[in-house]
Order: sequence, then structure tokens, then C-alpha cells
Amino acid sequence: MKKMLQVAWREYGRHVFTRRFTLMLLSVPLLVVFLVGMVLLVIRLESDDTPLGYVDHSGVLADPLPPREVKWPAQAVPLLPFITEEYAQQALDDEVIQGYYVLPEDYLQTGLAELVYNKEPKGMSQEQFISFLALNLLANQPPNVAARVMEGTTVIVRSTDNSREASEDRFLDILMPFISGLIFFIAIATSSGYLLQAVVEEKENRTMEILVTTISPGQLMAGKIIGNIAIGFTQLFTWLVFIVLGLSLGSNWFEFLQGVQIPWSSLGLMLLVMVPAFVMICALMAAVGATVTEASEGQQVMGIFTLPLYLPYMLIGVLMENPNSPLAVGLSLFPLTAPLTVSIRAGFAIVPAWQLILSVGILVASAVGALWLAGRAFRLGMLRYGQRLRWKEIFSRGRGG
Amino acid sequence: MPTVELNHISKSFGALKAVDDVSFTVEKGEIFGLLGPNGAGKTTSIRVLLDIFKADSGTASILGGPMSEAKKAHVGYMPEERGLYQDVQLDRCLVYLATLKGLTPIEANRRMDEYLQRFDLAAHRKKKVKELSKGMQQKAQLIVTLLHQPELLIVDEPFAGLDPVNTQMVKDLLREQRARGVTILMSTHQMHQVEELCDRLVLIDHGRTVLYGGLDEIRRQFSGHAVLVRTPGTLPTLPGVEKIERHNSAYHLTLAPSTNSQDVLRVLVERGVPIEQFEIAAPSLDEIFIRVVTENRPEEGAAG
Repeated sequence: MKKMLQVAWREYGRHVFTRRFTLMLLSVPLLVVFLVGMVLLVIRLESDDTPLGYVDHSGVLADPLPPREVKWPAQAVPLLPFITEEYAQQALDDEVIQGYYVLPEDYLQTGLAELVYNKEPKGMSQEQFISFLALNLLANQPPNVAARVMEGTTVIVRSTDNSREASEDRFLDILMPFISGLIFFIAIATSSGYLLQAVVEEKENRTMEILVTTISPGQLMAGKIIGNIAIGFTQLFTWLVFIVLGLSLGSNWFEFLQGVQIPWSSLGLMLLVMVPAFVMICALMAAVGATVTEASEGQQVMGIFTLPLYLPYMLIGVLMENPNSPLAVGLSLFPLTAPLTVSIRAGFAIVPAWQLILSVGILVASAVGALWLAGRAFRLGMLRYGQRLRWKEIFSRGRGG
Repeated sequence: MPTVELNHISKSFGALKAVDDVSFTVEKGEIFGLLGPNGAGKTTSIRVLLDIFKADSGTASILGGPMSEAKKAHVGYMPEERGLYQDVQLDRCLVYLATLKGLTPIEANRRMDEYLQRFDLAAHRKKKVKELSKGMQQKAQLIVTLLHQPELLIVDEPFAGLDPVNTQMVKDLLREQRARGVTILMSTHQMHQVEELCDRLVLIDHGRTVLYGGLDEIRRQFSGHAVLVRTPGTLPTLPGVEKIERHNSAYHLTLAPSTNSQDVLRVLVERGVPIEQFEIAAPSLDEIFIRVVTENRPEEGAAG
């Protein structure tokens, strides 16, 4: 056990405590920060703090309520009243204002206002005036009614058994399988790539004989698998922390993030399918590593396993259209396509419990089988320097070499 | 109880019989030579002993029983296929492998420092293994084998790739280990090293034992009925001597079956022949090796 942990720690340490890994680890949060920064910049550039004028002949804005506060990074646009269009036009010509609204006397009947400008004011400036106008139109309404109208409509679609609902605010329910799936696969690719390298490396360095007379092959393999899976989880955990942090910080500035709830139930479901898939893929990579003689050769074989993993992304249209079709069910039960298919389906439909149980069961069995296969391939292939181990041999031969 | 015991071990790979009914024991505190030409089955025998391969038949005992996980910490093995992590700093590589053998990192570092000094590698400790010369890597490999102070050392071709100075150092080291009570099983082609170091030996050819026993006993067994005489003058005809041949700067005298070496020495002294050297002409291990292996070949052909 101690030796296994020593192997795991070495595998973990030699990859994680490197500049390259730190850069990779920070790449996602840095990307998120960059994207957020870009969005903030665009918002800032989109807003213009040059005042907007208005001429009110209808009396709606005779004694106006102050406009709503504008959140950073958008800039508040001062709204200036003018008695006549002439004054307003003068201000526009003098470039004191970016434009002015004219509310005619019959505005309350027609609901039509006029915007005069030389260069059309930016959307955010117009929105601020419209919000200001709406606030004042609702001035005589009870506050709760006014607030409700200002918030606008929210459509919530709920399943008949009340177990699921979807709304504009819960777009993360749908996005989550995509984002998490992608992050999970990057972590799997990292771990399994390192693992393949870790196993092949023992052959390339001819260290196998020294190691197996020091530690049991089972412990060696288990140590390598644990260490390299831990690398993937470190990556996954760090990125998830940054994403959750980003969401909670981002909700201060972005309205669309304010109603967002992290869909813990679908995250839990994803963990249930992704974790055994993770172990299965890593063990398969280790088995590949034990059969080939060079890392480059292993990477070619790796494609055979990784391609089906991404297949559900390619079939996403079909899966969205009919999440409970026989194809979707089939892909949910095949171990290599199951993790992503189940996650995607869970975003759009209720996956029957029996399918979930069966899928997870198959995945766990496959993970155990892959570990067995890796151990066996390792035992048989460990002293094959420069000579490939055939898969047929793994299944047909007894212990030896 | 012998430290190592192989009893009628056989191991085949497909149609090839790599080891065929090999038996030998290695006693505690001796240096034992495992000899044989390329492909004779030496490495396979070692791998069976270390439980890397399972024997088809026969039993192997090491430190009093079959190989186990617990015994791995008491065995130091330097395989024929040298292996160190090429892309890792020398000191890190050594400490990692030593801690896997059960040493604490502090103890591993302490012992490593001593060995690096002794092997003249201290200045290279921060270099990656791949940056070291072949001889340096060979010495590093030996350090890995010794760091955990094993009771049993199994070294496969320990002198390969070493210059004479380092060869001498390794020889001294092996003798020093023997003096500490360590049992050493050494597989090599270099017969003069075996003659210098080994107490007993086994010679394997085509997977079978062809010679086994103490070094002196084997040499006696192969010594012809002959003596070697070195004299500044020329040798007269001697009674009881069938043939006199020039052998480098000495004479090789083949004696008649009824004559013994003492008779020859007495005659030489009586006749006043100046003698610089007089010895029983025992064959070198090299000669024994070649003779046994060559004799073994026709039988193989006939049998096979």
C-alpha cells in the first residue's frame, strides 16, 4: 500500500509540480477572465455617457421619478428635459446631447414617441430612457405591480410530474452537460495521456525489471492509475472552482447570471457516469501502454477509444430532437458513448431510471474489466522490449512472459 | 540453509526450451558465478528465481522460501537490461528507487551521497540520467542495487561498459559486500573476473547445467597431466615427459601417465636446470568454458 502511494505520488508530483501544468491549469480561468474582460469592455464601449434629451408634451414626465441605477461597467446617461424642440435641437447641434425624444400630447393614447438624432444613440442609451419612461408610466401603480411589470415575463416550462422545469434563467441546465462534458474529457485526455506515457516510459527506460523486483506489478499499476487520475481530478476540481467562482462573481455584473442556479442534480448524475468512465478510459490507456513499445505508437491506438467518446457530440442534433430514441438508449448503454449521451439526454428529457442504473452498472463493470485487462497486459507485456504484445495473447495466455 | 536454491527448473517459451532442468544452490556469503554463452538461459534462470517468470516445473527458493513481496526489500538486482529514468535528475532517480525499497528519503539521500562520492558521480548528481556517459549510468545502476543494503545481490554482467579503473572499483565493492556477509549471484561472460571473484560457479549451455561446483575443484577436474616450467635456458629431454611445447616464455610439459609432477621437479633440480617458475598447468576458466561449450554442441546436434 505504501509503495503504491509512493508510485502514485511520484506520478502526480512529476506532472503537477511543473511550470507546464500550472500554465495549463491556469489557462481556463485566464481564458474566463479574458472573456469576461472582453465582455465588460464591449459593454463599456457600447455605453455613452453623453446626455439624452427629452421634450415631454404629454405630461408623463412632468414630475419624473429618478431613473434606475445603472450597474458598472455600463455608464449612466444623464437624461435632460427640454421645454421645446428648438432648445433640444440647439443642444443636439451643439453636441451637448446625443439625441432627444419627443413625447407628443397624445402619447398616452398612441404610445408613439419620436427620437431625433444626428447619429443614432447606442442601444444601451436608448434602453436607459425607455426604462426611465416605463418607470414613470407605472408611477401610479402599486409598487409590487410596478416592479413586476418592470421585470417582464418569465416563461417556465414544467414537466407534468413537476420533477423538472426549464426557464430562461435555468439555461445552465442545458449548457451544463456540454461544459462539464468538455471539461471532463479534457481531464480524461490529460490523465489517460499521462498514464499511457507513464506505462510506456517504464519500457522505454528498461526499468520494468528493477521495479517488479521492488514492488508488485499490481501495486505499480494501481499507483500509476491513481496518480494520473488524481492529476485529471486536480485539473477538473481547479477548473470547477474557478467556474463556480466566476459564476458567483459574474452574477454581480451580468443580469443573465443572476437567476442562475447550479444544477446539482444533473452534476451528480454526470459524476455517476463520468467517474467510472474516467477509470475505464485510464485503465484502457494503461493496457495500451503495456502492449506497445513506444508512446507514439500508443497514441495512435488511443484514438480508437477516444473517438467514440466524442461521438454523442456529433450526434447531438439527433439526441436533442429525440432524447429517448432507440439510438439514444443504445448509445447510453455502450460504455464508451454512455457518459456523454446520458449527460446530454438528462439536459433535455427524463432518462428512465432503469436505463440510468443499467448504464452506470455497465460502466462500473467495464471499468473493473479494463483494470483487470490493464493488469494482465502489464504483467505479460512488461518485459517485451521492442516487441508488441498482441491482444489475442492477453486473453489466451497464462501467466509468464 | 542456502540463500538461493533452484531445483530442477524448466522454462519454455513456445517451442524454445530456455531452461532445462537446471539446479544449483548459492550459499550465504559467497560469490557465485552463473556462466554461460549468449542465450544459454542465465537471465531466464534469474527471472524464474525472482518470480518475474513462473517456471514450468521445478522449485525456486530465495532467502529461505519462494520469492515474496516482503523479500523484495532484501534483494538487490542489477538486470542485464540496465534501466534508469533517463529524463530524471540522477539524485531524484536514485532516491525514488531506494525509497521504493523501503528507505526513508533522508536515509536514501545519506547513503546516496556516500556512494556518489565513492563512484565519482557527486558532481553529476543534478544532471539528467540521459546526460551521463554509459559508464556513469552503469555505476548509477550499481548504486541503485546497493543503496538498500540487500542480503542478496544478483548482478548480471556487472563489468559491462566499465573501464579498468572502474572495473577494479566494482570488484573491490563486490569483495567488500561479501566480507559484510552479503550473498552475491553474478552472471557474466568475463571468465577472468569469475576466476578472481567467485567461490563456486555453474555453467549453463542451451538451458542445461554442464558444469557446477567450486572453482578450484573444477579447475582440478580439467587440469591435464601437465606442468608449466619457466627457465632462462633450454630444457633437456626428461624421463616420463611425453611432450614439451613452448608456451609463451615457458615450457608446457605433458607427462606420461606413470609420472607425477614431483618426479619431474626432482629431475630438473638434480640436473641443475635453473628454474624461475614451476606450476601445475591448470587450464584457465576461459579454456574450460570453451572446451565444455564446444564439447556440448555436437551432443546437442545429435540430440536435437
